[in-house]
Amino acid sequence: STLPAVAEELLREIKKAFQETSEVPDELLLGLKFIFGPSAVPALDLVDQRSVTRVRAPSGRTLYQVLGSSGKLYTCYSSCHFCTCPAFGFSVLQKSESLLCKHILAVYLSQAMGACQELAVSEEQLTNILLAEEEDEG
Amino acid sequence: LCRGGLAERLCRLQNRERSAISFWRHQCISDDKIPSDKSGVLIVKILEIFEECTIQVAICQQLEQSPAMLSPEDAVINAEEPILKVLFTRETAVHLKSRPQDVIHIYPPWQKLLLQNADVPVIMNTYFSQKVLLSEHSEAREKTYGLTKMLIKKNIISLAQTFRLDDLDDKLHRESSDNQVPCAPQTHNNGDSKQHPSALSAVNDSLLEMVESQGAVGWREVQVRVVIQRVYCLPAREGYRSHTQGSKALGATLVANADPPSVRLCLLVQDAYGMFSEVQLQSLSSTDDIERYCRSWEGKSCCLAGMKILQRTTRGRALGLFSLIDSLWPPVVPVKVPGQSQDSEMMTTNLPPPSFCYILTVQSGEIHVEVDEEEQISNLYQPPAVHGLNEILRSDGCNERCSFWAQVLYRRLQSKQSIPIDQREMLLFVTDSTLQNVVLGIPKVVAVSVTASCVLSMEITEALSAGSRLVFFKDALWGNGRIICVERTVLLLQKPLLCSAAGADLSELTGPVRLDELDSTTQANSICALRGTVVGVNESTAFSWPTCNRCGNGKLELYPQDRELLYCNQCSEVVTTPVLKMQLEVFLSCPSRSQSTVKVKVWHEISMALFALLTMLLFLQTYEVQSVLGKEVGLLNCYVHSVTSHPNCVALEEIVLL
Repeated sequence: STLPAVAEELLREIKKAFQETSEVPDELLLGLKFIFGPSAVPALDLVDQRSVTRVRAPSGRTLYQVLGSSGKLYTCYSSCHFCTCPAFGFSVLQKSESLLCKHILAVYLSQAMGACQELAVSEEQLTNILLAEEEDEG
Repeated sequence: LCRGGLAERLCRLQNRERSAISFWRHQCISDDKIPSDKSGVLIVKILEIFEECTIQVAICQQLEQSPAMLSPEDAVINAEEPILKVLFTRETAVHLKSRPQDVIHIYPPWQKLLLQNADVPVIMNTYFSQKVLLSEHSEAREKTYGLTKMLIKKNIISLAQTFRLDDLDDKLHRESSDNQVPCAPQTHNNGDSKQHPSALSAVNDSLLEMVESQGAVGWREVQVRVVIQRVYCLPAREGYRSHTQGSKALGATLVANADPPSVRLCLLVQDAYGMFSEVQLQSLSSTDDIERYCRSWEGKSCCLAGMKILQRTTRGRALGLFSLIDSLWPPVVPVKVPGQSQDSEMMTTNLPPPSFCYILTVQSGEIHVEVDEEEQISNLYQPPAVHGLNEILRSDGCNERCSFWAQVLYRRLQSKQSIPIDQREMLLFVTDSTLQNVVLGIPKVVAVSVTASCVLSMEITEALSAGSRLVFFKDALWGNGRIICVERTVLLLQKPLLCSAAGADLSELTGPVRLDELDSTTQANSICALRGTVVGVNESTAFSWPTCNRCGNGKLELYPQDRELLYCNQCSEVVTTPVLKMQLEVFLSCPSRSQSTVKVKVWHEISMALFALLTMLLFLQTYEVQSVLGKEVGLLNCYVHSVTSHPNCVALEEIVLL
């Protein structure tokens, strides 16, 4: 498959440009729009608002929590592309229309631009975050 | 969307792009021929198409020149032509209706992306694409094909494939580039604005403007430059409730709950217009840093960004906060007048004291305060005015903030055992050279009440229990004849670097400390010295008991396993060398207060090995009252428990000064 490699490279370019100039050039922003479509602007907005937190437990296990525009907190996994938001379930899982949802994209962009907040929690707390999601959907 | 943020920028770019696309498409239709400008046009021939998500991927061959120039026979696949992967959005793909063998002209602006481990370059942003029809023959073919639906293979992308943004080299850098929560504000010290996206706008100098633009688009990026006048800690949660409960709340004890008290680092800042604001920063896990922050931050300028308004409070509702603001009023340098332009010459110091104040807090735990510690102290900064205690005691003020440097002689904690030591209200008896050297009229020692709302660092708490220390009391409250330490008062162990020492004496005390002698003016809850003769002994109060030498627990038990040993259940250990406490109440006749019955509880402590303890207890039982009567008791330091007039009695307790 091509698209993931393209997306990854685009994000890497963004990270490089940001590290070198503290700016993201217009072409890369437009590239984001091209690849990710309607998720691009909302994802950037989440980054502007510093909505992404990396949650880390002492074992090294991590996950991401993104504060959505509705005020709801969504969980994105580190090990694979997964997000607890309904758009992910619909666009990515069901229809395979998108590569990512805006939250996962926001996670990557926050990583690229050093805009992730960090939260250290205990193993138990991390587990609870993961389990809590299951309960909601169950 | 955040004004000046990346999202807003992309929106603008996208809108522009969309207009350009529709204009271009319209132009193509109306012109009905290939635009003549060939520069930058990519000419490709599609070999294979598949779909991934909504993007159409076309494996193409790049052609040197437009095949319209060549005859159909020449349009053969030349193995040496470079292969490209061209991506089209769904919308472009629908417009193009491309199939293998189609030739597409891609007009600029398009983008080329080179992938790390692949040879084939990728072409993106291919909005301005047009299919080129080779001949009439093709047109007919086109129409036929248009009727049959072409099946395009769709690749399903695995979710397991995540993106790795770091190379091995920059993995080290990645950890440090993320902001930390909770975080010592130190990490932002060198004005390292690289940590923030480039979206912050120019620096403003008005807090009011920042506050008034709250909620409007882009207020988050507004930066305000302010001067840090004071740094202190407030107990979290309880902090504001006490002030809204009315004026009685000043100095009221806040009974701590069972949870460990969390403490927030706060700044009192002032802008170029003289307006104050209290900024509540993050919770501190340890109060040890208060002193360090005070020293490095007070007086410096800083930039605040992305503040959230917690409250707009007024003088009537926040007496404590305003007493601190009043101590900083009027400003030491002229301030700007609102309503005038930024560069206006209009500056004044003749303004009424503020009547309202905004309390701000940071968004979601992140520090939006950048303090440049290397910078010079601002002109607007008013360091605490340090006065000698005699000056403070003589001043008329009521609920005024005062600062002084004094030696702590004795500490008395409130007796509720259920409250942990660091949250109890306590009385500190202090003195300085201005009180010690004065002969008449002013007490030699003054009691400073420290309420639970005054946050003390561990350092201070330990220092106060360990020994006599010189402590700097910053912004304590003076009123109604009492000095109290409340919220926003900070106790520091080091002398302030800057202070307007108007006649203050920051030197150490020379010579032994003298207490006032017991006399007719002595009041309860004070300390004094006394001398007199023992005229009686209250035998019923004679008491001795062993205490734990580690924690002072007076309720030792017999060790179950060996009933000859003592056991402390607070330490959960056997006590091998208990401290024997003995107390006795004696009645003294004191010439300095001859009208009263003076009752002093005297006590004694002996540390002993257990066998000696038993011997001592036996010995004590046989002491004789007679041997004590008539004995002269020389200058004894005591704490006055109570003074009653009917009966005329003073009850004291012998104390040891720190």
